This record gives sequence, C-alpha cells and structure tokens, in this order.
Amino acid sequence: MIADETALARLMTASQGGDRNAYRVLLAEVQLWLERYFRRRVAPAHLDDLVQEVLLAVHAKRASWDPSRAFLPWLAAIARYRWVDHLRKVYRNAEEELGNHDAVDDSDEEAVLARMSLERLFVHLPEKQVEAIELVKIEGLSIAEASARTGQSESLVKVNIHRGLKKLSALVEKAD
Amino acid sequence: MNRVPNPLIDQLANDLAPVKPMTMGAGMALAALALALSIAGIGLTDGIWMSPFAGQASPFFTIVNGAFLLLGLACAGAVLRMASPKVGNSYAGTGWAMAMTAIVPVATVVMLIGRGDALVAIDHAFAVHCVTAPLLTSLVSGGALVWWLRRGAPVSAGHAGLLVGLAAGALGTFAYGLSCSFDTAAHLGLWHMAPVAIAALVGRITVPALIRW
Repeated sequence: MIADETALARLMTASQGGDRNAYRVLLAEVQLWLERYFRRRVAPAHLDDLVQEVLLAVHAKRASWDPSRAFLPWLAAIARYRWVDHLRKVYRNAEEELGNHDAVDDSDEEAVLARMSLERLFVHLPEKQVEAIELVKIEGLSIAEASARTGQSESLVKVNIHRGLKKLSALVEKAD
Repeated sequence: MNRVPNPLIDQLANDLAPVKPMTMGAGMALAALALALSIAGIGLTDGIWMSPFAGQASPFFTIVNGAFLLLGLACAGAVLRMASPKVGNSYAGTGWAMAMTAIVPVATVVMLIGRGDALVAIDHAFAVHCVTAPLLTSLVSGGALVWWLRRGAPVSAGHAGLLVGLAAGALGTFAYGLSCSFDTAAHLGLWHMAPVAIAALVGRITVPALIRW
C-alpha cells in the first residue's frame, strides 16, 4: 500500500527541512508510486532507469514543491516531464511488447490517480500520433516495422512521432 | 509489490540539505520588488510624469498603462506558478489578458487608417526612446522571473519563455509609461505596445534554453 497524499505531503515537508529519515521513507514511497504510474507506458527494461531519473529530479527540484499545495499533482507533473523526455531519447529496444503481466491489482486510489495518469495525455493526441509513439517509443519497434504495422509511410511515422511528442510536452500539466 | 532496496535513495538521503520552499508569496514578493525597482529606476532617469495624478492626462494614459500592468501581473503570476508545476495547473487567464491588451493596437491602427494619418503617427520623434527604454527596464522583471524559474521546475519551457517575455515587457512598459507625457491613443497604442511584443518574442526564443532542466 502506497502512502496517501497527506502522509506524503507531511514527509516532503519534513524532507525540505532536512529530515533524512523522512526523506528516505518518502523516496521509497515515491519509487513505488512511480513504478505503478509508469506501468504499461514504459518498456520494462526502461522502467528502472526512468524511475531513477525521476527520483533524481525530485531531489534536485524539491524546493519547487510549495507545502501549501498538494504533493501528488506536483510529483505527477515531474514524472510526466521526465517521461516525455525519456520518450524522446528512446529509439529502439529489443524488449518484448508490453502486456498486463507487470500490472498490480487496481485499487480505489486508481480513480483518484486517473486524472493525473499518462493515458490522459494521449487522449489529446490524434490516433495516428498515439499509434506511432506507442509502437516506436514504447514497444520498441523500428520505424520500418511501425510503418508496416500501421500502414503509414516511414516519413509519416517520423512526423507523427515528432508532432506527438511536441504536443505531449505542452500537455504535461493538463488534467482532463 | 515487494520493496527492493535502492542504493540511490540512500545516496540522495545522505546528500539531503534543507531547502527553502518556493512559495507563491515569496515569488510575488520578488515580482513586486522587481517592479518597484523598475519604477524607481525610471523615476531616477526619466522622472515620473505627475500630471495624470492631477487629472490632467488623457484617459488613454490610464487605460493603456493599466492594461499593461494587469497583463504583466497576470503573466508574472502564471510564471511563478509554472516554477512549481502540478497536474491541473491552467494558464488560460493569461490568454484573455493578452487578448484584451491586443485591443489597444488594433483600435489604434483602425483609428489611424480611418483618419488617414497613420504615417504621421509612425514618424514620431520620441518613438525610438519609447521602445528602447521599456525594453531595458523589462530586464529587471525578466531577470527576476528567469532566476525564479531556474530555481523551480517548469515543465513547459516554450510557454514559460513567452510568458516571461510578456510579463517583463508589460511591466517594463508600464514602469516607463509613468514617465512618458505623450498620452495620445496613437502614441500609446503603437510605440508603447511595440516593446511588449518584442519582449514576448525575445522571451519565447531565448528563455527556454535558460530554464530547461
């Protein structure tokens, strides 16, 4: 069970004050939260790297969290920003396609987190752009393979990825 | 889910030092200080035009400078919020502030073309000073906002750059506008609007590289 918003906010407040024990607990909880947040939207082989990147970002930017505001929407914005960055860097990997094998059981928190989820971002993109990003950046297909799978030309796949990522980066703070 | 020990967490915890949270109040104090310094600087160099306070300026003076002040405050507020990102933040208000301010140059151009003296308004002796002085003044607010964003975690660098430029340009032009005694609609609508547009463009182009993380 991952700590709730109130507990995380309290831990973060203590961490900003320099409490190392609270910070250790906070980062462990954040790690779990991120692993769940990124599931199905990151290739398994990249999940650990991405989570580590976000932990480093949380550390470097911890002063940017305002204690008068909620913690999880701040964390989600940092996570989305790093995720889009990560998608830009990924070109090809040989991992198996993502399935539901790594998913944990859904809980009541899912509904609360839904508004901040990564899927929410894809809703704002045209179908072709989502398809190109998912196949190449998440599942790890080559441009040629994605082209054959989707029926889009190779240059169109590239254009759709470029435009889609650009749009995603502008939507990081969008909730609906 | 099993908890796997992560050496990075221990390392980060050992490196932890106390930080001062970036609160909205502290950001607003910084923006207010920058604006106060801008006005003080203009007061020292060009002098504040006191006639408006005696009711001797045209209404355009108050309307246009008031629009710049509100646009600057709206954009500066958005920039301060961008430094502390969160899913659910919205900056739609700045778009409306921009649209309302844009009425000024549009109305000016329509009026000048209708009267047929557009070229006379453009050929204005003090135009260069009224464009360059606000741009120089905008560096104070712009510098403060960029410094704040660099400490923070902006997640939309391009949009943040545009808003920094608009905020700095509008607040710099407002500060300079307090010294300018040319209070006609043509002068304010053209020459005081130009530095805001230029600052927005410069901010959009240059600021993203300074605040990416």
